Amino acid sequence: MAASMYRLVYYSRNHIAHDQALFASNIQKILEKSRINNQRDEITGALLFNAGCFAQVLEGPLDKVEAAFERIQQDERHGDVSLLALDPISRRSFPNWAMGFIGTSDIQAKRFAGIGASTGFDPSRLSGDEIHALLRDLAIEEEAA
Amino acid sequence: MNVATSFPHITEAHSAGIPSAEQILESLPRSVLVVGSEGVVTYANRASMVSLAAVVGSEMRDLFPGCVLSLATMTGAPSCLLISRDGEKFDAGIAVLGAGQFLIDLRPSLDARTADMQGDLDELTGLTKRNGLLKHLSSALCSGPASSIAVHCLDLDRFKMINDTLGHAVGDLLLKKVADRLTAACHKDDIVARLGGDEFVVLQRNVEEGTAETLASRIVDLIGRTYVIHGHTINIGASVGVAIGANALQDCDLLRNGDLALYEAKKAGRGRYRMFESGMDALLFARREMEIDLRRALALKQFKLNYQPFINVTTNRVDGFEALLRWEHPVKGNIPPLSFISLAEENGLIVKIGEWVMRTACIEAMSWPGEMIVAVNVSPLQFKADTLLDTVATALKRSGLPAHRLEIEITEGALLDDTDNVIQTLNSLRALGVKISMDDFGTGYSSLSYLQKFPFNKIKIDRSFVAGDDADSEAILRSIASLGTSLGMAITAEGVETAEQLARIRGERCTHVQGYFTGRPMGTDQIPVFLARNDLDERI
Repeated sequence: MAASMYRLVYYSRNHIAHDQALFASNIQKILEKSRINNQRDEITGALLFNAGCFAQVLEGPLDKVEAAFERIQQDERHGDVSLLALDPISRRSFPNWAMGFIGTSDIQAKRFAGIGASTGFDPSRLSGDEIHALLRDLAIEEEAA
Repeated sequence: MNVATSFPHITEAHSAGIPSAEQILESLPRSVLVVGSEGVVTYANRASMVSLAAVVGSEMRDLFPGCVLSLATMTGAPSCLLISRDGEKFDAGIAVLGAGQFLIDLRPSLDARTADMQGDLDELTGLTKRNGLLKHLSSALCSGPASSIAVHCLDLDRFKMINDTLGHAVGDLLLKKVADRLTAACHKDDIVARLGGDEFVVLQRNVEEGTAETLASRIVDLIGRTYVIHGHTINIGASVGVAIGANALQDCDLLRNGDLALYEAKKAGRGRYRMFESGMDALLFARREMEIDLRRALALKQFKLNYQPFINVTTNRVDGFEALLRWEHPVKGNIPPLSFISLAEENGLIVKIGEWVMRTACIEAMSWPGEMIVAVNVSPLQFKADTLLDTVATALKRSGLPAHRLEIEITEGALLDDTDNVIQTLNSLRALGVKISMDDFGTGYSSLSYLQKFPFNKIKIDRSFVAGDDADSEAILRSIASLGTSLGMAITAEGVETAEQLARIRGERCTHVQGYFTGRPMGTDQIPVFLARNDLDERI
């Protein structure tokens, strides 16, 4: 398995309407769907989100990562997808599938704290690696944009 | 037994072993209805209850929402297409029962059954193929208002490059993903078809104000998003042409209009969609007409060469003439090269036309006095055709023109692609003894590396720098001239129209001038007279 392990990193603009309730329910739906798909496909990683963007790290077998990325590309809840990295890796950086709010809004942070806790979202993992740190910074910038 | 006429009397048939007409009708696997002239169902067999939920008292317009024709008019046709609320299609046979009653025999539509059969599906993507699309299109056109359907014709931008660089296996996987994305972008009632290669068509149904534009822009967005295949990151784009059914009488018109719009989308720069507009067909029609005329022009001898002199400013003598193509159209008169060369390059006719020019110029130059040079323009497409060297060698041999009297003018465009091959051809031409010049220098990339890669005999500076009397134009003119001179190349300033311009050129190290002031283009027969005229010396 280690031979074909890849990491894919992207970030994209959020197209979900700026309606708080709709945004929260969409995030909930994405979480439910990702949990099922990613567990099945041995994909781990992290999805960072805020009102401005999604930023995601996918780790797993190449074919599964490609299939997951294709599903993501067909999702019209976001656009302007920038693929930042697609590289073979020797080990996973994220032990499970984690989703967490990342941004400056305290209200949003509180609202999504539950999701972060339930998925084991650990912001400190985002600083260990250059591309992860870059992703985190992009996400915070995009929220402000 | 004639079911249609005996049907109302279902009581007669309980004789030994023979089922009654009613039993037969009730166990018939397909739907049969009897309907009054006002469209209310008076009898529905069991199959129709199951498949259409029809009961006595149901109304035709509820069972078949798209049905607008009256039963009386439908009777005349051998069969007509009816579509149920669930979208199921039937070829309906209608018979008059008398007393204002009609029998409707509903056979599952042949179109519906065959359109999705294996043979009609594309093996690679599982999408409908051309035949299936046409069937869906014609049934959509005859079952509802034409304005409710739209076709989206699309081409992938840069697909060939992916096939060439990453191989057909990756190309095929890419086409599959494109098919998936198209299907994801469309509504389930829409039909996505692959006509071959990277050519797809979407038949959109239930179109309302603005929804065709929305779908087209969604297609452009989704198809243009990055793909990841076997670890390769792939970026392609989609160009889309959209035609809405209104005003289109036939399915082929609609597809043609979609293609016209697609052509415009590609022309406008790809990665975008264009809606069909009625002017587009006129534009393309005119272009098509010109193409037909252009294909005949050679055989009908409508081309002619004019020659414009270029003067050596150091000796004040005419060194030679540039051959300029003229098309004398029998109806439209003189058509300037700017209006037809790009078309000839697009359809490849330029190669044949170029051969004619080369041959004719060499022959005509043989009749000129002295050692006059003839300069002939060669299109970048002629380099790609791989026959240029042969064409030139043959033209020289047949005419008897010494190679040093032929000068070939190329533009930077020829050197853009496949530079090594082009340089090789230029070297072979040079080996024949032919001169090579760089035309229109200063307008394109003006890349100095081209001047370094091949030792041109001459650089022709574009007319815009001669016409401009500002300090910038003058500085550019001077720099190119001094650059060329240092490289040992002759320099021609083009478009000289006034004595003042000529005087300025003389001061800028240009070796040659060409323009209206020193001589307009003329027919080959006027050349001896022109050369004999003594006022030339006075002017220059």
